[in-house]
Amino acid sequence: MKLILLFVVFAVIAVACSSETTETTEATTDTTTPTATETTTTPTTEPTTATTEPAGPRTIIIGTTDAVSSLDSADAYATADWELIKAFNEPLLRFQPGSNSVLEPGIASLPVASEDGLSWEVTLRDDLVFGDGLELTVDMAVEQLNRLMDSDLQASAPNQVGNTLAIPYVESIEAVDDRTIRFNLLGPAGFFPQILAGAPYTIAHPDFFALDEMNLLPEAPIYGLGPWIITENTVAEQTVLEPNPYYTGAYPAKVDRIIVQRFANPSAMADAVREGEIDVAWRILGSQAADELKSVDGLTVETIPQAPIRYLIVNHADGFVTSDPLVRQALAAAIDRDELSDVVFGGAVTPLLSPVPPGFLGANEAFEDAFQAPNIDLAVDLLTQAGYSETNKLQLDLGYPPEHYGVTTADGVLLVAQQWEATGLIDVNEIAQEWSTYVSNCTNGDTYPVCVLGWFFDFPDAENYLQPFIEGDGLGTMVLCPNDSCGDATTTGIDPLLGQLLLDQRAETDLDARAAIIEQLQDVYADEVVTIPLWLEPEFIIYRDGIVGDGSLPNPQTLNIGPDFEFVYSVLDITD
Amino acid sequence: MHPLLIVFLVFGIPAGLALAWVFLRGSESLRRYILTRIALTVPMVIILISVVFFVLRVMPGDVVSSTLGPKASDAARANIMEALGLDDPLIVQYFRFLGDVVTFDLGDSFIGARRPIVDELGERLPATLELIIPAAIVALGSGLLLGTFAAVRRKKPADYGLRLYSVIVYSMPIFWLGLLLRLVFSVWLDWTPIAGRIDVVTNTTLERTTNLLFVDAILSGNWAALSSVLRHMILPAMTLGLVLSGVFVRLTRINVIEALQEDYVAAARARGIRERVVTYSYALKNAMIPVVTVIGLQVAILLAGAVLTETVFNWPGMGRYLIERISSRDFQAVQSTVAVFALFVAMISLAVDVIYSVLDPRVKY
Repeated sequence: MKLILLFVVFAVIAVACSSETTETTEATTDTTTPTATETTTTPTTEPTTATTEPAGPRTIIIGTTDAVSSLDSADAYATADWELIKAFNEPLLRFQPGSNSVLEPGIASLPVASEDGLSWEVTLRDDLVFGDGLELTVDMAVEQLNRLMDSDLQASAPNQVGNTLAIPYVESIEAVDDRTIRFNLLGPAGFFPQILAGAPYTIAHPDFFALDEMNLLPEAPIYGLGPWIITENTVAEQTVLEPNPYYTGAYPAKVDRIIVQRFANPSAMADAVREGEIDVAWRILGSQAADELKSVDGLTVETIPQAPIRYLIVNHADGFVTSDPLVRQALAAAIDRDELSDVVFGGAVTPLLSPVPPGFLGANEAFEDAFQAPNIDLAVDLLTQAGYSETNKLQLDLGYPPEHYGVTTADGVLLVAQQWEATGLIDVNEIAQEWSTYVSNCTNGDTYPVCVLGWFFDFPDAENYLQPFIEGDGLGTMVLCPNDSCGDATTTGIDPLLGQLLLDQRAETDLDARAAIIEQLQDVYADEVVTIPLWLEPEFIIYRDGIVGDGSLPNPQTLNIGPDFEFVYSVLDITD
Repeated sequence: MHPLLIVFLVFGIPAGLALAWVFLRGSESLRRYILTRIALTVPMVIILISVVFFVLRVMPGDVVSSTLGPKASDAARANIMEALGLDDPLIVQYFRFLGDVVTFDLGDSFIGARRPIVDELGERLPATLELIIPAAIVALGSGLLLGTFAAVRRKKPADYGLRLYSVIVYSMPIFWLGLLLRLVFSVWLDWTPIAGRIDVVTNTTLERTTNLLFVDAILSGNWAALSSVLRHMILPAMTLGLVLSGVFVRLTRINVIEALQEDYVAAARARGIRERVVTYSYALKNAMIPVVTVIGLQVAILLAGAVLTETVFNWPGMGRYLIERISSRDFQAVQSTVAVFALFVAMISLAVDVIYSVLDPRVKY
């Protein structure tokens, strides 16, 4: 008995130690594609296994801390969801990888607007076949797109935000001929082509995504019209993508396989890329971990030029000290964004001087023009006008989540509190709350006078950095107005001119004229201090030597992730 | 067949057979005791999940705000609350949940893809079992061996060293020990993988049946996967096991010392039986009885420790799942996970009590 036990222990140890070297096994790929996908695999215990094995399958492993919650384009809204959807399914239009939101044809031509700007038409390519061989027809495309407009289907959507790129803008979607689709809009929207490049405007495979039912995570393999097929999907662990043999678009896959590996936290992902267990680390790492990885041989750490924003909600509702415009202006004037960037991020972030980030149409520096912040003298003057003094200081509650946006955002908020207190006229009470509690309190409009939130665009246009903050109750993104004390909820509770300018810029088709309206809109926004923009939160991509982007496209050093924040897996390649 | 069902069968059938064997061979009072214990498990679990259910409801925050953040409009919030049944009276929600538990349905998760919770647990529970079983082996194995070793060398340097070791490992935070071991063995020495259950690429070659990767690798004859699974298992199991081994070292040491002073040990020695046999076959066997009772208590601690260990080692088990779902206020997932944890602990506790009666015939029920 003891001998048997000893043998078992020995055998287990022997097996555990047996495969330190590269092995070749056969992948289990259950697809029905016409091409047999027999591939070999190499374990990744060696740092550059995927990049140095010329004869084996060319596999790139991408690490992420993002979870996938929905692959149904009629429901999905999160960045990670859209990234995967666009990998296996190509939208009508797409942004050129690495570019600053340059639109190019996807599965359809660039759209043409009617003279009144109330309808847009796109023409489908004539060679569109899903990954399992099913040919796309225009009727099929229109039916699938109309899932976004189906109120019954959308009522069953778990997230209730997947159709936000359709319902507010589109009245109907119809087929004009056997290749042309027309979008009839509720009102003019010059930014509509950008919307068509979003994941909701992919044509979902009808066998996986039925017209009358949401299917958030279909069983793999999942087919679409994009360059990849999802061949495996384990929610908590990994997603495996392999090339779609029917893809005829502009960006076919260059490697044999992409594996998206999920991590519980940024530190685990940072360790994995440092030790060579993954080839690329993408979202969400944090500036401190990225900084540490810069000194690791064989790794490249790049900052993505444009990213989510962080901003302060300043509650305009009656009963809060921030309902006084003088107080809001004083708070805006006292903030030193350069100090925030230098102290908290080591200079890695771009101070945000307008709600619209630089690079978008009409973006200006409205808050700089209005306050020349940091301007302590102006802040003191405004607070004095508002009735505050050294003996009667402004008492200000400042809410923030210590963990949700990462430690750097929390540090940044605490530094803002110090900057305000440096005026000598403000006492700040910092309130840290766990995210679930915090976000309710911040957005219900009746708890905090000031709190911090983040925003990431749904489509890359200035509209999406203005409309959500101005419309509704005018208190910032979806922040509610308690007791209806904020004015006309249909336009804005602050200055009606903001609502009017918002409508005007939508209707304007001339880009220069639209830019001028957006600039004026930002100036009014800053005067009213609707919210206080703080900084562009940096995002990082870290990759191992041998992983390359497409040199013919912009930003190959960031693997062609550009300001539009899109990671197109099919531009990735491995050098020998 | 559902992986969760397979796991329950894998563990449940042998446990059930053993219980039946003890039940049939035991005395009338033992049979009555077993039936009473099984009957008491039901109210125990109900009380526990009820407490969890109501505590979750009084916590601030809600699932919609937590997951959608500033993108949650009022209308969307109302729609989702209705869809999830969260706008129903609390008592309706409570009995609906009890119904889910009784039917082993457990409902759907509130967040993400709203998957059935039995499916999510079918992926997560095997991962946790694959962590805590080797950890328990490490804890018990090292605890018994080192405890006995310390007892035999009482008041010698080895004894003092092991007593110090037991205090240090028991008082050491699990996450810190995990990070330390990872730094030494994964980063500096490069002997073990940094995290996860299996190599990323090897994972794509493994055909999953039970989601117990160790078992699946053997069933499919995938030895590369088996090797990878074992290598990934070493550090997490050592982390969790070493922390718990401190209790067993001290407990075993004191009980072996007492046993070595008993008359039957002196008699054995007088008969010329070798000291090693006396120690391990006579003294340790009898010292095991109080140790067994502690095993039952340590299972709950083992599960609690798994929460931290899984986080450090990116181990996709129940502990990590629980943390994620508490953060996002996914009530359905949290209360269902706690129910499964409670059933698990209750079953282990029952098994320990039954084993105790077998090990010590003097015990009367």
